[in-house]
Amino acid sequence: MRSDRIVFTDVSKFYGEVLGVNKVNLEVRPGLTGLVGPNGSGKSTLMHLMTGLLRPSRGKISVLGIAPDRPEELFRIIGYCTQYDSFPNGATGIGFLRYALSLHGYSKAEIDERAWAAIERVGLTDAARRRIAGYSKGMRQRIKLAHAHCHDPQVLVLDEPLNGLDPMGRAEMIDLFTELAREGRHVIVSSHILHEVDLISDGVIMIHGGAIVAEGEIREVRGEITSHPIQVLIRCDKPHVVASEVFRLEHVVEARILEDEGLLVRTRDADAFFTEVNRIVLAADVVVETVAPADESVHAVYDYLIGEGVGGGSA
Amino acid sequence: MTAGPPTEARVWRSQIWTIAKSEVRRTLFSRRSFAVYLLVAMPLALMLLRAIFMPDTLRVNAPDATTEFAEVFHFFLLRFVVFFANAMIFVRLFRGEILEKSLHYTLLAPIRRDVLVLGKYLGGVLSAVLLLVPATTLTYLLVYLPHGRAGLSLMSSAAGVSSLLAYLVIVVLACFAYGALFMLAGLYFKNPMVPALIFLGWETLTPFLPALLKSLSFVHYLVSFAPVPVSLGAFALLARPVAGWVALLALLVASAILVFLASRAARRLEVTYSAE
Repeated sequence: MRSDRIVFTDVSKFYGEVLGVNKVNLEVRPGLTGLVGPNGSGKSTLMHLMTGLLRPSRGKISVLGIAPDRPEELFRIIGYCTQYDSFPNGATGIGFLRYALSLHGYSKAEIDERAWAAIERVGLTDAARRRIAGYSKGMRQRIKLAHAHCHDPQVLVLDEPLNGLDPMGRAEMIDLFTELAREGRHVIVSSHILHEVDLISDGVIMIHGGAIVAEGEIREVRGEITSHPIQVLIRCDKPHVVASEVFRLEHVVEARILEDEGLLVRTRDADAFFTEVNRIVLAADVVVETVAPADESVHAVYDYLIGEGVGGGSA
Repeated sequence: MTAGPPTEARVWRSQIWTIAKSEVRRTLFSRRSFAVYLLVAMPLALMLLRAIFMPDTLRVNAPDATTEFAEVFHFFLLRFVVFFANAMIFVRLFRGEILEKSLHYTLLAPIRRDVLVLGKYLGGVLSAVLLLVPATTLTYLLVYLPHGRAGLSLMSSAAGVSSLLAYLVIVVLACFAYGALFMLAGLYFKNPMVPALIFLGWETLTPFLPALLKSLSFVHYLVSFAPVPVSLGAFALLARPVAGWVALLALLVASAILVFLASRAARRLEVTYSAE
């Protein structure tokens, strides 16, 4: 029976003796949902279970009424961008999408139309005929996103989709996810960076140690987090310029230049900080290599959240 | 965008053909093809050298070519080249993509796992046949060629052509049977070459086994199509020859069972590259 929900009922997954996820009960509604948890918390396992790449040891999963062990039906309505940074040998960007679409049974004309539309949507038109092996990390991430949504799925599952993208690329992809969610789709985005998900999601699922520790509207947990400063690492060619600019921001409590051209910033308002840093970078013509919350801080936030028992959800 | 919903059977056919074509491309036109080409070129190189350096006293004995090819076919082509070429092609159908960490792209397509297995199997069979049938034909040609006009007329006679066709039937059936076995091994074993070598040992021992055990090997049925019998040595145990239709049925049924088992394994297949 068709439904508009993704439902996990008492789902557990064990890898031999090792726990993947434990007794997960979830109901995901349409819209943009963030799945957030530290590295190794079970996010990818949950996404693999949802898409049938893993089979649950116990429990049942239903994606809009379809069981993940029916790939012939499931992958007409779902697209999955995995975390794996690997591609078929020798594939070009457009060839990669054409092959995926040909397995859907589309006509040649429709394959071409859909492949080029997806390529254009992720901004890879100029590089489409080049081999993926020669793509940058950001371009590889984009072609994976194109692969996930080229068949126009109702559900998009994206595992760490912003990894490797520059600030401009992140902004473009965030716009794309928001647009797709606004069209009434399920867009599930995982990240180990809480504020990244906070920025784009309507709802959030927090996972830790294979168990769901919080689930609900992101606004509910945001208040708790804003009082807890997070650290952001910026690697760029003009760290001094960026440091002097960001230090003027009210929510920035510390900006420290590192020896290896890095800049470590502590802020109480990550949303505002990420918006401001884009403006500063463009205004000062700074070449940015990375803008990413530093791990220690992310883990601190999790310790904080999990320790304090923020949110409802099942444990 | 779609003109109308395609029927399920048409979608399956199209998916099987798409996957098969992709497998043929990957097997014949990628870097990994080099080792298979090298293996398939071995009998050709050896027969070419033999043709160049054959003494004149042997060149006059054209009828000997028939026995010579039979021996080359039984002991080198079938038991070594055909066997290992199939092993190299078929174990990589799934295992290759697992090692390359790209199998998930195929598993994320709206395709039944058994349809996927059929597509890959068909691709493997087509690749193996496209490599091994010309290699066998050329080897046949190179065995007869040094015998000059007499050799050529023997080869192009009705008996010569029907012999060649019988050998090609063996090669094609070997691709179906060994292919199914190695595809299954590629799904079950992290290093499928180990079971392949064990199976090669079994196939090699077959002539020395009692009739009941002989029937558990592929080569026992394959050689029943051979137009020229060869001596397997003093210790070989003779068994009643298998009728052609029985051999054909046995090989096709065994292949179908192995493909069915591979489909079951594929249905349970999970993507856990870190465990590989």
